Amino acid sequence: MIQYIIRRLLWAIPVLLAIMVVTFFLARAIPGGPFDFAGEKQLPESIRKNLERKYGLDRPMYEQLGKWIWDGIRFDFGPSYASRSQTVNDILKRTFPISFQLGFLALLFALLIGIPLGTIAAVKQNSPIDYGATFLAILGVSMPTMMIGPLLMWVFAITLGWLPTARWGTDYTQLYLGFFPNIFSAKFWLHAILPAITLGLAYSASIARLTRASLLQVIREDYIKTAYAKGLPARRTIIVHGLRNSLIPVATVLGPMFAGIVTGSLVVEQIFGIAGMGKYFVTAITNRDYPMIMGSVLVYSVLLVAANIVVDVSYAWLDPRIRYD
Amino acid sequence: MRLSKLAVVLLVSLMVWPVMGQVIMNRNLGTEPPSADPAISTDTTSIEIIEHMFLGLVDLDEVTMAPVPELATSWDVSEDGLTWTYHLRNDVYWVRYDTAVNRVLQETATLPDDAKLILSEPARELFVGKDADGNNYVVAQRADASGFFRLVSAYDVEYGVKRTLDPNTASDYSYVLYIIQGAYEANTADPTSPDFPALMDAIGVKALDAFTVQFTLIAPAGYFGQIASMWIARPQPKWAIDAYGDSWTEPGNIVTNGSYAMKSWIHNDSMVFVRNPYLPDDLWGGGNIDEVHCVMIVEESTAFAMYLNNELDTGGVPLSEMDRVKVDPVLSKELTIRPFPCTYYYGFITTKAPTNDVRVRKALSMTIDRQTLIDQVTKGEQLPANTFAGGSIFGNAALDPRIAPWALPEKLGGWGYDKALTEAQKLMAEAGYPDGAGLEIILMHNSGQGHAVIAQAVQAMWAKAFPKARFTIEVQEWKVYLTTISKETPVENMPNVYRLGWCQDYPDQNNWVHEVFNPTYGNNDPRMSPDDPQVGAAVAEFDRLTTLAGRLSDPEERQRLYFEAERLLCDEIVAIAPIYYYTQIALTKPWLTRHWHDTPHWDTWSIDAKLRAQMTGKG
Amino acid sequence: MSAKKRRDAREEEVRGRSPLQDAFHRLLKHRAGTLGGIFIILVILVALFVDTTIPAAIFGGEVRPLIAPKHFAEVSFFERDLPPGTPGYPLGTDYLGRDILSRTLYGTRISLSIAVVAALVSLVIGLTYGIISGFAPTRVDNAMMRFVDFLYGFPLIIFVILLQAYFKAVSRRGATGLVGVLVNIDRALGGMFFLFVALGVLNWIGMARLARAQTLSVKQKEYIESARALGAGNLRIVFRHVLPNILGPCIVSETLAIPGYISTEAFLSFIGLGVTPPTPSWGLMISETYAAIRTYPWESLIPGTALALTTLAFNFLGDGLRDAFDPRLRGT
Repeated sequence: MIQYIIRRLLWAIPVLLAIMVVTFFLARAIPGGPFDFAGEKQLPESIRKNLERKYGLDRPMYEQLGKWIWDGIRFDFGPSYASRSQTVNDILKRTFPISFQLGFLALLFALLIGIPLGTIAAVKQNSPIDYGATFLAILGVSMPTMMIGPLLMWVFAITLGWLPTARWGTDYTQLYLGFFPNIFSAKFWLHAILPAITLGLAYSASIARLTRASLLQVIREDYIKTAYAKGLPARRTIIVHGLRNSLIPVATVLGPMFAGIVTGSLVVEQIFGIAGMGKYFVTAITNRDYPMIMGSVLVYSVLLVAANIVVDVSYAWLDPRIRYD
Repeated sequence: MRLSKLAVVLLVSLMVWPVMGQVIMNRNLGTEPPSADPAISTDTTSIEIIEHMFLGLVDLDEVTMAPVPELATSWDVSEDGLTWTYHLRNDVYWVRYDTAVNRVLQETATLPDDAKLILSEPARELFVGKDADGNNYVVAQRADASGFFRLVSAYDVEYGVKRTLDPNTASDYSYVLYIIQGAYEANTADPTSPDFPALMDAIGVKALDAFTVQFTLIAPAGYFGQIASMWIARPQPKWAIDAYGDSWTEPGNIVTNGSYAMKSWIHNDSMVFVRNPYLPDDLWGGGNIDEVHCVMIVEESTAFAMYLNNELDTGGVPLSEMDRVKVDPVLSKELTIRPFPCTYYYGFITTKAPTNDVRVRKALSMTIDRQTLIDQVTKGEQLPANTFAGGSIFGNAALDPRIAPWALPEKLGGWGYDKALTEAQKLMAEAGYPDGAGLEIILMHNSGQGHAVIAQAVQAMWAKAFPKARFTIEVQEWKVYLTTISKETPVENMPNVYRLGWCQDYPDQNNWVHEVFNPTYGNNDPRMSPDDPQVGAAVAEFDRLTTLAGRLSDPEERQRLYFEAERLLCDEIVAIAPIYYYTQIALTKPWLTRHWHDTPHWDTWSIDAKLRAQMTGKG
Repeated sequence: MSAKKRRDAREEEVRGRSPLQDAFHRLLKHRAGTLGGIFIILVILVALFVDTTIPAAIFGGEVRPLIAPKHFAEVSFFERDLPPGTPGYPLGTDYLGRDILSRTLYGTRISLSIAVVAALVSLVIGLTYGIISGFAPTRVDNAMMRFVDFLYGFPLIIFVILLQAYFKAVSRRGATGLVGVLVNIDRALGGMFFLFVALGVLNWIGMARLARAQTLSVKQKEYIESARALGAGNLRIVFRHVLPNILGPCIVSETLAIPGYISTEAFLSFIGLGVTPPTPSWGLMISETYAAIRTYPWESLIPGTALALTTLAFNFLGDGLRDAFDPRLRGT
């Protein structure tokens, strides 16, 4: 098992290196440099040169690539071009925990809604309840986030006044160990509800549909039929034997889903004014903020690798038949 | 509803607890300020916070835009206009928000024993001496037997200007200071070359004594008074910058001298500023706000919702809510619309067919129905623009019907749209495109909803005026877009029409027609050329006038030259079609009284706390 | 299992039905799937005949709106923000006084072409890659799968943003030769062509993995062995035996990926990298008006509903197809 994890980690190294190289060339391929303009003004040649010298962009390409990879290996990206008093690491340190919390709660919500919904749909396959549950689930995924967010805000924050309008309930200065929120704070939870639901809704639908499909498959397996035949109550059979095994495919998608949910939260973060890292995936590119592009890409990739390893390891718990060799 | 009250109580208690009795204003900055460093800032958000943390040599009057005393109590200009001497006040302290004791403290200094006493009053003794390295002057007031408080001095101004011009600082806006002698040479030098220190020394800014600073210019620029108000020419704290490097602008590190000090800066989330208790009373603007809590909500509709929920005391109006706000009995009273020194315009590439024909350019400019666009699309009571620079800029000719009268409605002395349309169709036919037959125009803008809406509206107007023509809109992402319309792009890859806006850095035409359009010194995105067969002579004249006006100091003469330059640009060459002069659109809660400087001055704003408690308690 | 499969295979021979035909018959029994399919056919018809582009291309004549009451870019400044039910505007108008019904109908064309072209791009690349990998010697197969692993670790949404920003930039430059042709296609489609490509690139990886896995399992089957024994070459085996047998699951997976493309288009519109206005896509229409959802809710809810219904239909169809292609799920 440990050997397996080590092997997976070793394999991640060339992948991450290749990602760094590809990102370098892709980022440089887009026309327009980071320091060509200030606002709408084209900067005089002399000033652009000063800036490029300051940030080492006047060095030969191979040297820049070398530094780029070295920065990536150390996970130290230097100052952000767009926000010059901060380093990329500062920005990531501040925004990643917030996005992580939002993503985690959204995924939790998605699982809490998705798995029961999918189970009900599977148990009552092709009945009105199945159609209803499926319809609800898919409607969730179909409504664009940018519509659900303002709608929820309108109803629950402005019209009913039950919940705060926007922003996250905690900031990086209030986190324990720089990462964990105070979960006993009512403010934290009140602020988290709307954004987490908005973000989680889309994913709850995917989870519901996956659960349904995989549960349907499992229900037809021999051991479930045996359990029925032995006279175990239906509900218990499904939950104890069926659901556990049917969660394997669900777990498979959780890895990439989690990476996507944490980093892909741009829309929700913008609508609710949350200081997460989602927006940097776009603004880093639009600003040609090369170190920030690199930082955000690597965070995503590392997160994905880590999430996938965790998921693979958790197979062992879900399905004792799987062995790592 | 019970939950809501619980939430409100929780939130209010959280917000109010540490600062009971303090007057707090909640404001949305709209974005994270890219910087708080006066030397490198370029955008309005950064400038707003810098305005409150760093005093300028001079401030600009809220209405007339004329320089008024701030750090400098008076200034002299030499006969030839080349030497500007500023006399500074001697009672402004450097302060720092100390995060350990949670208070604004005066910045202390140590002085050598041989420090010179330069002023002795009953309550104050001021000294000047060199710091520990022996290179830099420290001006300070004796605090007690052992300590001194640092004062803002002419040396800090000299350092600030030189730091902005140092190529190692890599300031985007350093070029604005090129009017200072030696500035260009130092800023463009290789900082590793041996003669670089000499070049830096040769920059024409000099502290004559502790409170007198002198600038030497390369030309008698009448607008230098306005430049002296800019953030790039403000005193900067060398010792803090040396100690903390690029992170000297973080809370706890940053040393300031303005009306507010930075208490916290949670990047991308919020900032808190507290009133500087050591600011001399007569520099305070008369407001009563002790703390300003800024949030950075990008999404306008969300900020609007927060305003409605009393979570913000002042805020903007999203375009889509304008109609509703204007008729809403409460919100319409809280709405302020005032002119703002920016101009939205479409530029024509004068070297690309068919916009290389001045008749086509003129016809296109004429058929933008500016008033309809403002009333139905931008909705912010903007003013239709017939010239580049708006009404508050020195040397402007805005709304003067002698220039491009087609852009103005009849009530402003212009042609009105019907006449403009007829004339435009005639011109277009003369140019060989009757009804637009055979005319193909590419209009390009950068991505952004506001720009897209205007482009679609203008496209519709043009298509209606010239039904047989083809108008294509293209959109590019901002940086790509700027690269596309820059002069390096070959003309076949250019659009015919591009959109841009311009906002003032300082309220003088030099910052407008000269820096943006001068064919030799400016960006000149329309690619005007004196070799143009139709308007070449006018371009050469435009070049001459805008260059000359920047080197004169006589206001009337400059005014005259700029009027002619605007006429050439917008009426004769028609290099651009100005569309509208911006307005600032703000909602303000009834308990907040604010002034309307172009860059906000929070120290002039007041909050009626009792009224706020009453109104929010009920609501 | 293999005994059952063999029986199925024999039945097919007897009835002379291909697996695809067989699946089609099973699909018809799936109510939701059928409903989804019918809806999608309707949407396709709307997309084809929303204006006279296609008839005009065949019979000549001018391009004008056919199903849609008005052209999508017809601006009416003084009739803006009208609610649904206004005479002449059954679904109201938007912020420039354009008919929302017409724009929504035109939007089917954009959203659907994005979905279909992106799906095709991803299907073709993914299938080719997967089958080659499945048939290649172990070492090549490993290398090819490592490459897929690598792409999988790459944040593809960033890739798409970069590509889209890049394409939008180069589409104005060096338009000669093949690039020039592509750029012209792109312009004709409102800047969408490269969007299709980018979205297809986003998703072929999953497809390649699926296709390889399927190929490997089909490769073991007896009929492949016997075909090989009869001297059939790899190409023949792929086209006669492998492709027909693995196409089903791949199409199912692609159908279920289509809603993802549609919502990615909406996301790209949100960040300003979608189609070029005034060309309407549902994503663009929503992202232009979501901020006004309190004041003019119909402006975003109508295209939003169109998008949701189409997504729903693709999902139902995908579920139906999956049930149809997977005999183990049949008949319950």
